Amino acid sequence: MIGFDAILMSFAAALHYESIAIILGGVLLGYIVGVIPGLNRAVAIAIAIPLTFYMSAYAAIAFLIGLSKGTAAGSAVSAILLNTPGEPSSAATCLDGYPMARSGRPRKALKVGLLASVIGDLLSTLLLIAVVIPFASVALKFGPYELAAILIFALVFIAGMAGGSFLKGLAAGGMGVILGTVGLDPETGAARLTFGYAELMEGVPILPLVIGTLALAEMFVQLDEYRRNKGASVIKLSKDKEDDLSYQEFKGTLPTIFKSTGIGAFVGALPGLGPSVGAFMAYGLAKRSAKDPDSFGKGNPNGIAAAEASDNAVIPASYIPLFGLGIPGSVSAALLVGAFMIHGIQVGPLMLRDHPEMLFTLFSGMIVASMLMLAVGWYGLRIFAKVTSVPPHIVIPVVIFLCLAGIQVQGYGTFGLVTVFAFALFGYFLKKFDYSFVTFLVAFIVTPMLEMNLRQSVILSGGDIAILLDRPIALAFVVFTVLMALHLGWSSYRQWLRKRLKAPSS
Amino acid sequence: MNFWSGLGVAAVAVLLLAWIVPTYGGRGFAVGMHPRTLATLGAWVMLVCASVLSLLSAIVLIRQRQPFFRLPEPGHLWHQTWPFLFVLGFIVLVDRFPLTWVAPFLIGSLLVILGERRWYVVVLTAVIPAAGLYGLTAHLMRIGVV
Repeated sequence: MIGFDAILMSFAAALHYESIAIILGGVLLGYIVGVIPGLNRAVAIAIAIPLTFYMSAYAAIAFLIGLSKGTAAGSAVSAILLNTPGEPSSAATCLDGYPMARSGRPRKALKVGLLASVIGDLLSTLLLIAVVIPFASVALKFGPYELAAILIFALVFIAGMAGGSFLKGLAAGGMGVILGTVGLDPETGAARLTFGYAELMEGVPILPLVIGTLALAEMFVQLDEYRRNKGASVIKLSKDKEDDLSYQEFKGTLPTIFKSTGIGAFVGALPGLGPSVGAFMAYGLAKRSAKDPDSFGKGNPNGIAAAEASDNAVIPASYIPLFGLGIPGSVSAALLVGAFMIHGIQVGPLMLRDHPEMLFTLFSGMIVASMLMLAVGWYGLRIFAKVTSVPPHIVIPVVIFLCLAGIQVQGYGTFGLVTVFAFALFGYFLKKFDYSFVTFLVAFIVTPMLEMNLRQSVILSGGDIAILLDRPIALAFVVFTVLMALHLGWSSYRQWLRKRLKAPSS
Repeated sequence: MNFWSGLGVAAVAVLLLAWIVPTYGGRGFAVGMHPRTLATLGAWVMLVCASVLSLLSAIVLIRQRQPFFRLPEPGHLWHQTWPFLFVLGFIVLVDRFPLTWVAPFLIGSLLVILGERRWYVVVLTAVIPAAGLYGLTAHLMRIGVV
């Protein structure tokens, strides 16, 4: 186990000026991306991964984490000033943020959003640090049976919880599993689904996959929706003293911020739920428990505080299953796994054993990122308010260019360009027909680990399923998986039946 | 929408199970799991879920007396298709010429198509990213013009 000196060293490394500069770059870029409507966290990380190829592993991950945190905080700006959330999870912020800004208090609304974001993010990061070490220590004792059972459980859970239809979620998971098996079989050396392409021998390259399905596909969707967003107008910031946030006003939002952070951290720790669920749950609870629920939706600062604290708390908490078990619970966590893979590091409980300094330096970097978020957001308020005016018809062509540039810079050539286009079509299909993208991506990422553990389980047990009786944790997860699949299937069926009964009969 | 997407996914799953996985899924003796097992399992999950989705959607469509086929308007179809064709066209160009040279045309033409008419906005937006890429690849990374 890592000692106290090593923890201090990791903090010193995170506080080095080079490290701060990299994290600051990530936070700043994330803020700008978050502020621009139409660009989201996943698009930003997908495009930024090629930039991190030439950084050290720590610098790359710290930059991406900074970027991820920055987008979450920045998305509140466009939600408040433009009534267009930079991220889907900021939709709850629009409910009170925009009315408050329209009533002549835009600066106050932005500052409440910023402070709630930073507090939610910081507390959730501290929770991650406190929880993940004991979690990973226990996970290190798991064998292939337990890990295989947990991975299958996580996939079914994500398919059911990621929103939309459970059937579509499972089907998307199936697609991810198939793509995850492409490449040389680790046991027999047989080429699987490579169709003779040497480029596929090591599996489907992750960069064209994420850039195509996330960034390029999103731009196609944006082009499709461009006509609808043409008429949005931005609220300008005034220099009115009345519009400043007083300490008393901020103090009034603190209980809501703490409660919402708890909700966000809980939702984030469960794989698949995502920040939108957390933000709306926290908003709903804040409204229900308020003395004046009618003021919600009309510019109540507690509405902004609830949505933003929870939204930002989800992100660090979603790294609990990632660092604790190696299971990415969200799209951004799955993309981080890709970035770790590119730098030759296996993310999960093994990090605690093999790269403990790296893990602690990352945690320290996350705290630094939270602090930088506050500084960037506080002093850059006016600049970011201006960035919201960048129209989507300028953003879309530049992002399409960045997608192609990311592929070309990495030397994927024609194969990469064709792959990125094919995955853009695939991603567009997933988005348009509402197939769970997070289930697809998580299934694709965890399939090699799932296959290795399943294979080891089959070899060790000799094909005898009764061995599970000697492995209570694995057995429990198998039972949970079956019960969850039955429950989700039954709920979906009842939902369908209700819709059918409501519909006009023949 | 669910009916047709389910049918499409089920058709792909059938193709995978009947031809692609058995032919290209890998061969050889394995002590534990066969190389094709997981891919086959994934395809079965796709097939079962997509078939059930299609079936349930078909029941709803029949009950609500809604048509199974609803052709989109040609204008709407074109609006959805042209971005793909546009990017595909530029991918063909990028395959033949460096992206750095093609980029200003890619960005500039898309800006004009999307309604931007201020020449200085078009020129600056088209040139600055391409110049940035040139500086990055030719001078910082020293991998030449891509």
